[in-house]
Amino acid sequence: MKQLINVAQVIKSIAGGVFAIAATVAFAQASGPNDAQIAAIVVAANSVDIDAGKLARSKSKNKEVKEFAQLMINDHTGVNKQAIALVQKLKVTPEENDTSKSLKSDGAATLKKLGGLKGAEFDKAYVANEVTYHQAVLDVIDKTLLPNAKNAELKGLLEKVRPAIDAHLQHAKHMQASMK
Amino acid sequence: MMRDFMSRMDKRLRDAGLLLLTCIALSAASGAVQADARVHVVVIEAMRYVPDVIEVNAGDTVVWKNKDAFPHTATAGDRDFDSGSIGSEHAWKFKARRKGVFPYVCTLHPTMKATLVVK
Repeated sequence: MKQLINVAQVIKSIAGGVFAIAATVAFAQASGPNDAQIAAIVVAANSVDIDAGKLARSKSKNKEVKEFAQLMINDHTGVNKQAIALVQKLKVTPEENDTSKSLKSDGAATLKKLGGLKGAEFDKAYVANEVTYHQAVLDVIDKTLLPNAKNAELKGLLEKVRPAIDAHLQHAKHMQASMK
Repeated sequence: MMRDFMSRMDKRLRDAGLLLLTCIALSAASGAVQADARVHVVVIEAMRYVPDVIEVNAGDTVVWKNKDAFPHTATAGDRDFDSGSIGSEHAWKFKARRKGVFPYVCTLHPTMKATLVVK
């Protein structure tokens, strides 16, 4: 019983961290990020999930979780590669901002919390975080990045990436349901 | 004697003519099949196969081109065909020999579904 409470608390605090990101982004939305800042947000968002994926790939003993983690690493690495190639082509330097920094620091905090778990508890917490995280990223894309992107190619990249984030979300939700 | 000769010549000419016509017909037929075999393209982009239903003739080639930033597959239900991992900006060719309706998916991203119809 005590174990269950601990996991629930960890999930809640991770989710709380993610909602803090959403709140920060909502505040940032008042002024709206420029393309250089959007680029930094995209790279940060991908990097956070790549790092979580690497942790899950090494820690989890569950085949499905490991495969999902590898998918996150492959997909988010691919998107980052494309995003970086685009900003280089556009001669735009990604500009760190409050949102990109929050994403990274909250991501690091999540990794620390997940690092303290193991076995089924880890798997459950990792998957729960993936659900919350991808939902938050989808909201950031829809509410902040897409409406503010000025460059057509950057907007095109965001539009192309959105369905991938949604597919990840659906996949994570499916896994979460089967883990109950 | 002349009549015998003429009738034998007629027969030989007739046989030669038939053989020649058969050769022409066969080469024309095989030429027609080669000329008609087509290449069809399915683009994989934004987590979709475009078009999601493609109809081809038996003997045609289908090329899946991955325009997404990360790998996908084109894998038929009973593994009638399986591209394996198609990397970003890479393609996979498949010669559709067998007729039928072949639903397929991306094994990496299970929400992605499409159909190949071979007539």
